[in-house]
Amino acid sequence: MEAVTIHFAPKTGSEEEWNEAYARLADYFRSFRLHNRIRRTQLILETLRRAADAHEADPKRTPTAHAIEQARLMLREWLGQIYEGMELTESQIEGSGRLGFHLCDGPTRWPHFFIDRDNLPPDMAEAMRSAIRASGPRLQVSKMTPRAIDLGLFGDEEEDETDRRPFAFVRYFVLLLFVAAVLTAVYRLTIDK
Amino acid sequence: MGSRTAQLASHAGLPSVTTSRMRRATFFSFVFLGTVIGIWLLFLMLQVDGMAWYEVGIILVFIPLYYQLNVGFWTALIGVWIMNRAKPDPVDLFRTITKDDLDAPLHATTAIIIPVYNEDVTRVFEGLRAVYNSLNKTGKLEHFDFFILSDSDDSNKWIEEETGWLELCRQLNAFGRIFYRKRRTPINRKSGNVSDFCRRWGKRYRYMIVFDADSVMSGSLMVNMVRIMEKNPGVGILQTFPKQIGADTFLGRVMQFAQALYGPAFIAGLNYWQCGEANFWGHNAIIRLAPFIEYCALPPLPAKVPFGGHIMSHDFVEAALMRKAGYAVRLIPTDHGSYEEGPPTLIDMLKRDRRWCLGNMQHFWLLFARGWHPISRLNFFHGIMSYVSSPLWLIFLVLGTIMAGMGEGVMGQQASFAGQLLLLLTLMFIFLPKTVIVMDEVVTGRMFKPFRLRMLTAFSSLLDTLLFTFMAPVMMIFHSKFVMKTILGQGVSWVAQRRKLGSGIDWREPILTFGGTSILGVAWGVLAFFISSNFLLWISPVLLALVVAIPFAIMTSSNRSLQRFGLFLTPEELHPPPVLQALNQHLKEVKDRPKMQPEMEQRYGLIQVCLDPYVNGLHVSLLRRRKHPHHSREYFAYLAQKLVAQGPNSLSSKELVAVLYDQDSVTHLHYQLWSAADENLAPFWRLAIRQYNLVAPNPFTHLLAQKEVTA
Repeated sequence: MEAVTIHFAPKTGSEEEWNEAYARLADYFRSFRLHNRIRRTQLILETLRRAADAHEADPKRTPTAHAIEQARLMLREWLGQIYEGMELTESQIEGSGRLGFHLCDGPTRWPHFFIDRDNLPPDMAEAMRSAIRASGPRLQVSKMTPRAIDLGLFGDEEEDETDRRPFAFVRYFVLLLFVAAVLTAVYRLTIDK
Repeated sequence: MGSRTAQLASHAGLPSVTTSRMRRATFFSFVFLGTVIGIWLLFLMLQVDGMAWYEVGIILVFIPLYYQLNVGFWTALIGVWIMNRAKPDPVDLFRTITKDDLDAPLHATTAIIIPVYNEDVTRVFEGLRAVYNSLNKTGKLEHFDFFILSDSDDSNKWIEEETGWLELCRQLNAFGRIFYRKRRTPINRKSGNVSDFCRRWGKRYRYMIVFDADSVMSGSLMVNMVRIMEKNPGVGILQTFPKQIGADTFLGRVMQFAQALYGPAFIAGLNYWQCGEANFWGHNAIIRLAPFIEYCALPPLPAKVPFGGHIMSHDFVEAALMRKAGYAVRLIPTDHGSYEEGPPTLIDMLKRDRRWCLGNMQHFWLLFARGWHPISRLNFFHGIMSYVSSPLWLIFLVLGTIMAGMGEGVMGQQASFAGQLLLLLTLMFIFLPKTVIVMDEVVTGRMFKPFRLRMLTAFSSLLDTLLFTFMAPVMMIFHSKFVMKTILGQGVSWVAQRRKLGSGIDWREPILTFGGTSILGVAWGVLAFFISSNFLLWISPVLLALVVAIPFAIMTSSNRSLQRFGLFLTPEELHPPPVLQALNQHLKEVKDRPKMQPEMEQRYGLIQVCLDPYVNGLHVSLLRRRKHPHHSREYFAYLAQKLVAQGPNSLSSKELVAVLYDQDSVTHLHYQLWSAADENLAPFWRLAIRQYNLVAPNPFTHLLAQKEVTA
């Protein structure tokens, strides 16, 4: 097995600071659900190298800040390449772009090509683009205007028609008689003779 | 639409006028008879030696109370009769669908809308999944779209809803079928949320099925409801009977049992006399959208909130407006396929009642308005009476106490006879419906076929009578308070309804809530003792319930719900239908997962949107770009810096929501947190960054069951 040599010698910043930057980057890339550790390590190293250069130019900021900024720039460039021509704003490319990678199951299907500007599988790019094309149903605006309710006393009632079924009068009369009979019976039962 | 009830748009779906009239004449004749007899007997009891002012008062409050008792009694009895009639109810809308209709394709588009406000996200989305899959099984899914309409102002819930929506769409392959909308300003609460949907998307759909956050409906019932609406163009709103499910506390299970056992009879009875002028209960109902949009927008009431202003209990008013516009509002008496959850404890029930009370009391404005159908007017009256009856009962008892204190008993043979008759009659009105319904269950096995279960049901019914006897006086006191508070102009805040007990019983809450009630019970008992032992005996059931309110509330909040003894069982508990089986299984899967640290669990949504690149991307994508972001740029930068350096507790919930509404701030926050040195981060974020990847292998499925993606 060949030995793996990692070249990373930042000219500025302490070892402790770069260790912290490394740990933060590791956590950050893990949050993309990249379970492929080799790809993750490659990304971390590439980002750290870019961050080292940036830190040399601006040592006031911490290596962690530079590292995350470089990760953001790399991601932006990569997403910009994929979503080119889709008329998205910068923040949309960042937000929707990341989401597109998740929606097309990128972390599982194309982990090796995450932030790889030189290798863009066409099916991955298309899957990411089509994932963010889906939008909500078209609005069909309608008016829903409250009508005033006339709170005046009662007034007109509904349109009831006369009961025209056979023997309507007789039926209602029988019902009335029944009610009257029961009331009379109760009255006679309870009233003192 | 003027101040007159319109002619019916179509008679299809509405019982004929003559049928409605005959039914109502019969029903209200019985109600009238029962009420008049009661009043007469009371008058005979009290009229000896003339009537004192308190005796006149007793009769006056007795009239509406006895009317209400009679309405319930006759509704239930007629319901039992309808359920046992050899031939089916001729006005049953299911009869309008023929076998050919069942095979015919659907032509209508239906939106299923779920308004949510700070609800349990897992329950909402797993409920939605169960409904979606159930519809899918009918083969008619393509005719339905789903809308989650959020008014949540809890930032955590908001993000959880977004991730829940995305993950559910991903798992079900339902992008373009399930939609999520968050309102920035929740104008007019739930009814405003529904109106907002109607204005934006209403024209796309012929029908809308309104859900509550905890509603579940089976696919077959929803498809049949659409078929019924198609076949009966005169129906504007079709309301189902939502059965309570999922209770795990003693009180919750008893309420669930009572509703399952007694509910169908009451629903059948209501359907008998309400006919085409039934009520809308706000959810688990299908609505014809065109007339709803045209006629059912709610105007504000005169006067200020709470008694005026925005109409809170919108459902009754929408039903009345729909009928006024000439469309029938029907109740569909089925006890399968439509479900909801109830409050778990007495305190939760009272909190809900406080809101409902205010909403129903507002209807007083509408009681005398022009143009309502008389039954719509009556529905308003019954709604008001469901709360006003409590202070009336209280006044009745107070006047009774004064009468006893004055040394007035029931004198004379005639008065004594009338009193005994009245007692018998009242007991009959209270207990006969339950007795008849239980007998019906024992004989027919409507709920359960095995005889043992029927017997257990009968025994459970006896026990629930005892429980309701203890509960009623407590409810009386609280409802009386609510009515008084409403009259005095105290509003209620809009809070999410608790549907599960969650972390167990907090003993302080019942003690603080019911302490005053118990003291009142003791004081009234002492007074009654000094008046007379007979009076104390007469009023003791009420006073005992008040005295033991605290232990009663604690005991009924317990998770020991006697299920293992086979008591208070419902068919849905014993043999859950497929839609509930799926829901229960998924909820269990989520519930059994190991929990995160409480601080992280409580703020998980916020952690996700700040740290997770995908959730952050989702949230930013769903936000609308603000027109003038530079106006508040500095303010948002200040809030974001505070959030990073001091943690989420340093911001108020409004400030948090404000930050999360700003696209640039949310994007920036993500990088700001990840790039900050440890010493510049609040301890909360240090912990979150370290633990985030460990606790969340997939943050999108944290709140949902993990299922294979549907092809």
